[in-house]
Amino acid sequence: MAESGSAAELSGSLTSSALPPPRTRIFKIIVIGDSGVGKTCLTFRFCAGRFPEKTEATIGVDFRERLVEIDGEKIKIQLWDTAGQERFRKSMVQHYYRNVHAVVFVYDVTNAASFRSLPAWIEECKQHALGTEVPRILVGNKCDLQDSVQVGTDVAQQFADAHSMPLFETSAKSPNSLGDGSYRDSDHVEAIFMTVAHKLKSQKPLVLSQPAEGSGSTVTLSGGRNDDGGGGRGWSCSSC
Amino acid sequence: MRKHKRKKQIGAVGGNENGFVTRESDGGRKHKLTVIHQALIRDPVDIEALRRAAAGNGGLLTDELRRKVWPKLLNINVYKLPPKPGREVRENHKDYNQVVLDVRRSMKRFPKGMPASERAVLQEQLIDIILEVLKRNPQLHYYQGYHDVAVTLLLVVGERMSIAMLDTLSNFHLRDFMDPTMDSTKHILNYLMPILEQVDAELHDFMIRAEVGTIFALSWLITWYGHVLSEFRHTLRLYDFFLASHPLMPIYLAATIVLHREKEVKQTECDMAMVHHLLSHIPQDLPYELLICQAQDLFEQFPPSLLAKRAALQSRKSLSISSFQAFHLSTLHQRPDSVLQRLTRAQGYTTSRHGLEASPPAARGQLWREGNRMMKMAVWGLSATLGAAVFAVAQTAMDWGPDLILQLF
Repeated sequence: MAESGSAAELSGSLTSSALPPPRTRIFKIIVIGDSGVGKTCLTFRFCAGRFPEKTEATIGVDFRERLVEIDGEKIKIQLWDTAGQERFRKSMVQHYYRNVHAVVFVYDVTNAASFRSLPAWIEECKQHALGTEVPRILVGNKCDLQDSVQVGTDVAQQFADAHSMPLFETSAKSPNSLGDGSYRDSDHVEAIFMTVAHKLKSQKPLVLSQPAEGSGSTVTLSGGRNDDGGGGRGWSCSSC
Repeated sequence: MRKHKRKKQIGAVGGNENGFVTRESDGGRKHKLTVIHQALIRDPVDIEALRRAAAGNGGLLTDELRRKVWPKLLNINVYKLPPKPGREVRENHKDYNQVVLDVRRSMKRFPKGMPASERAVLQEQLIDIILEVLKRNPQLHYYQGYHDVAVTLLLVVGERMSIAMLDTLSNFHLRDFMDPTMDSTKHILNYLMPILEQVDAELHDFMIRAEVGTIFALSWLITWYGHVLSEFRHTLRLYDFFLASHPLMPIYLAATIVLHREKEVKQTECDMAMVHHLLSHIPQDLPYELLICQAQDLFEQFPPSLLAKRAALQSRKSLSISSFQAFHLSTLHQRPDSVLQRLTRAQGYTTSRHGLEASPPAARGQLWREGNRMMKMAVWGLSATLGAAVFAVAQTAMDWGPDLILQLF
């Protein structure tokens, strides 16, 4: 919307040593997939450490975040939980594809249609300049419902390999949960998002987060993706 | 007079169970009841008085009144309600799966103490209502959040009146949200920032710098806040207001909410995620009466036509806005329920095939006594008829003097 021109200029200067020491790096991850596959459940589980009692349809975009520590560095993971209904993604969710560092595709293992939609979701991401250069992972949700599985692990693994993504299968209601509200990641939800975070951390210099002091002069960096035609650094980080 | 009345309301914030400001004496409430009943039995119905009552302090006060006034606000004849949908309504509809998915997981919208079995009955009715309206209007497309509007209507006016109300709302107030794409909805959201700019340029600039966009207000707009408010009485209060107002009013209210939180917003990190996060979580203790007054003032000060002159808003036509005047005119010549009932009978119109409205009084009494939950649900549909009985009395009382009406309530 605003200032994408000046933002592009600033992203260059930010890599210089004249910067104040970084505060916290922010990784923005967008979570997409068909309606009802459990996107809200997964993001809530990761950020709140427990599953929500009940989730409702997401209208537009919800945002959740969690601070994690990776190799001694504190990193803020921002999850953008999106509406699954097609009409929302066309004109509404667009805005939130910008400056995203990684994508989590979710399907429901008990719903073959949600698996068949994945190519469309991948295409959608490409249109927003989120192609293979951006870390992407595939999550098959609801694997606790073993009796009604419609998407076998082998098929999903093939698909994930073809698109160079790691595959995780998880359950929105893990039967192995400890019952006291805590989870020792028997459901892999931690692993899913931490895998993405590690991948992002190991990647080349993400633009560092800028302290927010003096909000008047805070800058928003769009990472250049919109300005340089997507040349090679599509996942570069933004901050402000 | 309207202005003066509003001034008086500004300081009033607290509310009792029905959202009516307790500081106002019981006399104020009684006065309002009288005004509403007088407006309802006028011929034609005094729709402007009903609008003022619905938007004004405390809204329509009780669900009983809502069942009488809401249909009038939408020009609905309660004696000619659509029939209860049959099984066929669920067959072959492209949105069936999505509707079922959204309704089945919308547990939060139902009163907390409601037994699961009762809720399940209502959820099935909700699916039927939505699909029935969509089937009657093939040009309309379901959106997630439409079910939040439908459930609010269902919980107050019952299944058949909900169909009639939802049908009208979908063709007018909600029309833009029901296009094949959400482009028109985006257009409506684009009215938000210009309003903020007029009132608080600094706040506006901050939000532009943060690139927050307007999606934080999307669910507010397309569900009339039903999706985000946890107290049902607040949702009802806002529905009173919106049913009596211009289709853009939810945007003006969104503006007042953002302005109300101006300090919080400015203290937040100037970042899309942070500002989106802050604004999309609506505080549950908002001073609704105050904000409603402010939204009305903003609407008068910066009407849509004025805002539309701005370049960004010119490119697109809104069906909700362009059809509003015709809708407004259509509501001006409604007959009171007592007359409608007579006319309906005279026409030999019978609803007995379709529902309970025409069932003899004895049968009705039996229904009440049944106490069976399913029956209770069905009885919702009767309220319109029972309401009419009250009006017959009220009308007689009017002939004797308005003071007598007060004693009725």
